[in-house]
Amino acid sequence: MPREVIHTDKAPAPIGPYSQAIRSGDTVYVSGQGGLVPETMQLVGPTVAAQTEQTLKNIQAILEAAGTSLAHVVKTNVYLADRRDFAAMNEVYRRFFPENPPARTTVQALPPVDIKVEIDVVAVLPEG
Amino acid sequence: MSRQVIATPHAPAAVGPYSQAIAANGFVFVSGQLGLVPETKQFAGNTVAAQTEQALQNIAAILEAAGTDLAHVVKVTVLLADIAAFKEMNEVYSAFFPTQPPARAAYAVRDLPLGALVEIEAIAVLPG
Repeated sequence: MPREVIHTDKAPAPIGPYSQAIRSGDTVYVSGQGGLVPETMQLVGPTVAAQTEQTLKNIQAILEAAGTSLAHVVKTNVYLADRRDFAAMNEVYRRFFPENPPARTTVQALPPVDIKVEIDVVAVLPEG
Repeated sequence: MSRQVIATPHAPAAVGPYSQAIAANGFVFVSGQLGLVPETKQFAGNTVAAQTEQALQNIAAILEAAGTDLAHVVKVTVLLADIAAFKEMNEVYSAFFPTQPPARAAYAVRDLPLGALVEIEAIAVLPG
């Protein structure tokens, strides 16, 4: 099966030895994203709400570069630095997945940079 | 769809109710690997660097048993016991993925099995 590196300037450049995403067959694996603004590589803001929104926008941009979209996400993992942010994260998260949301696992874990939330996703390509 | 259990003596035996890997639908899902030496079941060393190297060697052995290799990895998840080890892990990690690295998520968790410093899981595609 072919394995293609996905890259877009509309999402933050990798901060380690990883690609933004890999597409293989009909599946797209997106690396863990945080609330960094691609143009500045700075955090969008201090709140988990702002960071969740930027994180999902970054994922959206990567998925678009891969030829798919948030509506085709099948699985997400959400890593919260503080599990008390769960409700605030969810309020923003559900706006990006208004119906038939993906399968999801949420855990408390520390991301490699000082961010409050990190999200990675697996998506499929649209049919046809 | 077929689901094939992958097992090799060249990687540590499972320390719980899981298979080393499962191949299905052109993908290979490798269980989280620790830096255990298969022959001795001891950690390769007490540094993140030594354990990262051994964990990736274990993954390489499992992928080989499945008929693929590190160059076909599409997604990696790195779990660290201490996020301060992110850079040390990356230095070893990048030697295993010199070009077009896989998508990845990395974060620190509260504890890892057996007191490990790092655990790594991977998804690869089969060649061809």
